[in-house]
Amino acid sequence: MLDEKPEEAGAAAATEAPLLEIDNLYISFFTRAGEIPAVMDFSCKVMPGEAMGLVGESGCGKSTVALGIMQDLGKNGRIVGGSIKFHGRDLCLMTEAELRSLRGSAISMVYQEPMASLNPGMKIGKQLTEVPIIHEGISEADAEKRALQLLDAVRLPDPARVMGSYPHQISGGQQQRIVIAMALLSKPELLLMDEPTTALDVTVEAGIVDLVKDLGKEFGASMLFISHNLGLVLETCDRITVMYSGEAVETGEIKTVFDNMRHPYTQGLFRSIPLPGADKNARPLIAIPGQLPLPHQRPTGCNFGPRCDHFVDGVCNKADFKMQPAGDTPDHWSRCLRIGEIDWTAEPEHQTGGEKVDVGDVVLKIDGLKKYYEVSANKMFGGGETRTVKANESINLEAREAETVAIVGESGCGKSTLAKVLLGLETSTEGEVTLGNLEIGELEVQKRDPKTVGSVQMVFQNPFDTLNPSHTVGSQIIRTLEKFGVGSSQEERRERMLELLDLVKLPRAFEHRMPRQLSGGQKQRIGVARAFAGGPKVVVADEPVSALDVSVQAAVTELLMDIQRESRTTMLFISHDLSIVRYIADRVVVMYLGHIVESGTTDQVFAPPYHPYTEALLSAVPIADTKVKKKRIVLEGDIPSAVNPPSGCVFQTRCPRKQDAPEGGKICEREAPPVKTMDSGHTVKCHLADEILKRMDPVIALA
Amino acid sequence: MPPLGTSEIVFGVLAAFTPVWIAVALLFVVSFAFQRRLSLYGRLFETGPGLVGVFICAFWLFTALMADLVAPHGPLEVFASVGKNKVPGTIGPEGEMFLLGTDKLARDVFSRMVYGSQIVMVIAPAATLFAFMVGVTLGLPAGYFGGRTDTVLSFLANLVLAFPVILLFYLLVTPGIRETAVPQVMSGVFFLFPIIFFATLFYTRFKERPQLLAIQLGVVAILGGWIYSSLVFNADPFGLLSLEPNELNIFVAVVFASSPGVFRIVRGLTLDISTRDYVAAAQTRGEGPWYIMLWEILPNARGPLIVDACLRIGYTTILLGTLGYFGLGLIPESPDWGTSIKEASQLLRLYAHPALPPAIALMSFVLGLNLLADALREQSLKD
Repeated sequence: MLDEKPEEAGAAAATEAPLLEIDNLYISFFTRAGEIPAVMDFSCKVMPGEAMGLVGESGCGKSTVALGIMQDLGKNGRIVGGSIKFHGRDLCLMTEAELRSLRGSAISMVYQEPMASLNPGMKIGKQLTEVPIIHEGISEADAEKRALQLLDAVRLPDPARVMGSYPHQISGGQQQRIVIAMALLSKPELLLMDEPTTALDVTVEAGIVDLVKDLGKEFGASMLFISHNLGLVLETCDRITVMYSGEAVETGEIKTVFDNMRHPYTQGLFRSIPLPGADKNARPLIAIPGQLPLPHQRPTGCNFGPRCDHFVDGVCNKADFKMQPAGDTPDHWSRCLRIGEIDWTAEPEHQTGGEKVDVGDVVLKIDGLKKYYEVSANKMFGGGETRTVKANESINLEAREAETVAIVGESGCGKSTLAKVLLGLETSTEGEVTLGNLEIGELEVQKRDPKTVGSVQMVFQNPFDTLNPSHTVGSQIIRTLEKFGVGSSQEERRERMLELLDLVKLPRAFEHRMPRQLSGGQKQRIGVARAFAGGPKVVVADEPVSALDVSVQAAVTELLMDIQRESRTTMLFISHDLSIVRYIADRVVVMYLGHIVESGTTDQVFAPPYHPYTEALLSAVPIADTKVKKKRIVLEGDIPSAVNPPSGCVFQTRCPRKQDAPEGGKICEREAPPVKTMDSGHTVKCHLADEILKRMDPVIALA
Repeated sequence: MPPLGTSEIVFGVLAAFTPVWIAVALLFVVSFAFQRRLSLYGRLFETGPGLVGVFICAFWLFTALMADLVAPHGPLEVFASVGKNKVPGTIGPEGEMFLLGTDKLARDVFSRMVYGSQIVMVIAPAATLFAFMVGVTLGLPAGYFGGRTDTVLSFLANLVLAFPVILLFYLLVTPGIRETAVPQVMSGVFFLFPIIFFATLFYTRFKERPQLLAIQLGVVAILGGWIYSSLVFNADPFGLLSLEPNELNIFVAVVFASSPGVFRIVRGLTLDISTRDYVAAAQTRGEGPWYIMLWEILPNARGPLIVDACLRIGYTTILLGTLGYFGLGLIPESPDWGTSIKEASQLLRLYAHPALPPAIALMSFVLGLNLLADALREQSLKD
């Protein structure tokens, strides 16, 4: 296989026959409500050795295309028109047996959730060897040899041990590597990847992305890479197709589409993500107005018409139409009738972002906070060894009125524990948390008075989980007001609730809606309304937009900032997404395994000198801008467990700069690093000498 | 007079159920007319199993309600002149019809089957309801608090589940124990749970609104106290509700045996739902644990609990049949299906006809409940 596909496959692609050719594909689902078209008039070509990115928001039909290629649409899904040709043969006309021999061998798929893709009851070795044994009938010993080789190729440490483990015994990143190895085992020609890194942490994601890129070259497999993340697609793919509401709206070479986009939807997407250069005061994000139309309520003509700034009545909504050549390069197509008439270079009209807010006095002060959990092995009889999870270790933090402080870190870094202590769901083990002049670190939420409870509130991450599905929206907000002691009668509280709905820009009629009747963005707005119900001093926002679609993200982010600006609330913005942090935060705190490793103003943290972890984190975040040059640092291994943290510096096991430290890094294993003050207010917790820190190059540079 | 032929018997039975047919037909017409507005119940009518399940359950429910209209004779009426063990279709000297024959004490089999449904329809759902009250009230804290509460409660539940049910029943209904205070104490404990449940339910939600709360707690106290005194002490001041000591025993035994199952389901659901953000949101606004359990968690566990309730009424029906068959609990001449089967089984090799109707009734009712549970599960998953 390695030799079958020559290296120059990509270059010769123009003359070669396409590996996969999808032509005017229509896929529908048949439900009780009738036929629901999921994909319409979708065409796309994938050349041998090429990586095609499929981008779109949830519900746009991108995963349905992948399932259509696999001919695995379930019992109510059906391809109702068009063809999917693989090597010139139509997959729709093949028999089940023929398809079976293709699936998992010539075409294989990697899904989003690694844990759900692996059989939890089977050892990994057995699951891996199964593939070539079934497809190629090779002996078990040969299959094992091949599996070991591939585990090595996906850069798993100690493949032999992994082969003998069960899926739950290894980490999420390693599981996804195994799923990819499994997909590659039978030397596929086409690899379908459906959001393969969405469930993973950023630094782990960077490792997988690196792997995926190399595998394309090494194995010569073509790829269909499905993602909602434009930056990720830029890093991994050669060509891109943007989908909206079941249709491909724009397709072309990745650089062409990113630099000369020719569809208003693509442009809207780029304007709603925080790219370097966006600024919350001068150049705020622009959300795409409106909502994705429901599949059975799509308009005639352009599906994007109702949300488009360039919509012209009588032109865009006259009749359905095909993709048009965009003109500049032969392979660039767009589904817009007004390509020639729109001025694509025009700067968008920025809404007035508002002035820079002056921060006030210190509202929240955290001093030497520690939070340990005791985990005992045996619950019933109490005995057994008790282990201590050190979730937070000497946290020092100050937040001022009207200030946004971002807490950045990957899962397991202790940022959620910190939030829990602030909210009173947990009490601190040591140290002080002062709100105004009230010590709240050891005060459980039930022991706080209603005013204090209302003054520290939270916006939750998952919009589908943040509202109770059994109660109406109105009653949930009224209950919150009741608990915070706002208003003296039910009528007064209802009036206040309606005002809150106005505040988050939702119609008052939503009062009687059930949460399931709301979209993700609307639910998150209710979550914001609830958090601001008691006139809070501090709002903890735990990844408030990470589960939302890109175009909705911008709207919710702007809303959150508007309300914060108005009410001069302090916001603690917890996130792992550094793009949004750079956009929204005044100050940034970087956490790793319970420690604050770096803190400072946003500009200080995003520019050198860096803590080595910040440096890696910055380089791991995919940025959807072709002009950005990034240094690539991929961290080895996984985050260690907080039960048994590494000695000395907690980051030493993964630190790429360890050898530069004094004594060749020995000191990192022995001693906890000191907190160094670099600039006014900029601290770094590291053993590296000052001159090494100062010599660092910026990770992100605009070319 | 010559006995009736097979087709006459079939038509006779069908005709006897006329009021039930009318009631079921009305129910279906109304349900179909308002199908869109009836959410989950309405959607039951979209599937085959749902239709059949609703039909069978409604059939037996209406039969129990209108037993006096359906049954031609009383359940304990003895027709000495007609004779014992007469075949189906026998016509008595005064023209009375015995559609399904007579049993070994010359009672009408058909009428006994119809009246038997009343006993099943009262005890099975009511016992299941009480078992749910107990299971929910204990399962919620076990799942929510975890730790020692969970360990102790789960251990007790496992203890009850590990104890052979039949042995338990034998113990509970042996005269020696029946005469002690044990059943009454047990019922005293079990029947306390609904009162605790509803009082906590209203208290946690409305404690900020004292006037409303006072009304609600008053209603709970009056209704609960009335039912409690009439069931536990058999001292209903209005004389409306009463429970024979035998029935009380059976009732308590059934609640005792099935509440651990409910406990485990509720505990598992609570463990799952506790991890949701809306529970965390409730905690961060300072809600107490019982408010969260009863108002945030319980409503979202209703789907699986409704399904389980249907299945559990079925189990309880079978359990009642088994108890009746062993002659436990109810009086020997009781027309309930289990006792009837037992009575008929002694002469089964000679006369099968007195055993079959109650057996088929029991089977069809449980089948209906299982179909209903299946359909509910399927339809609730479709959302």
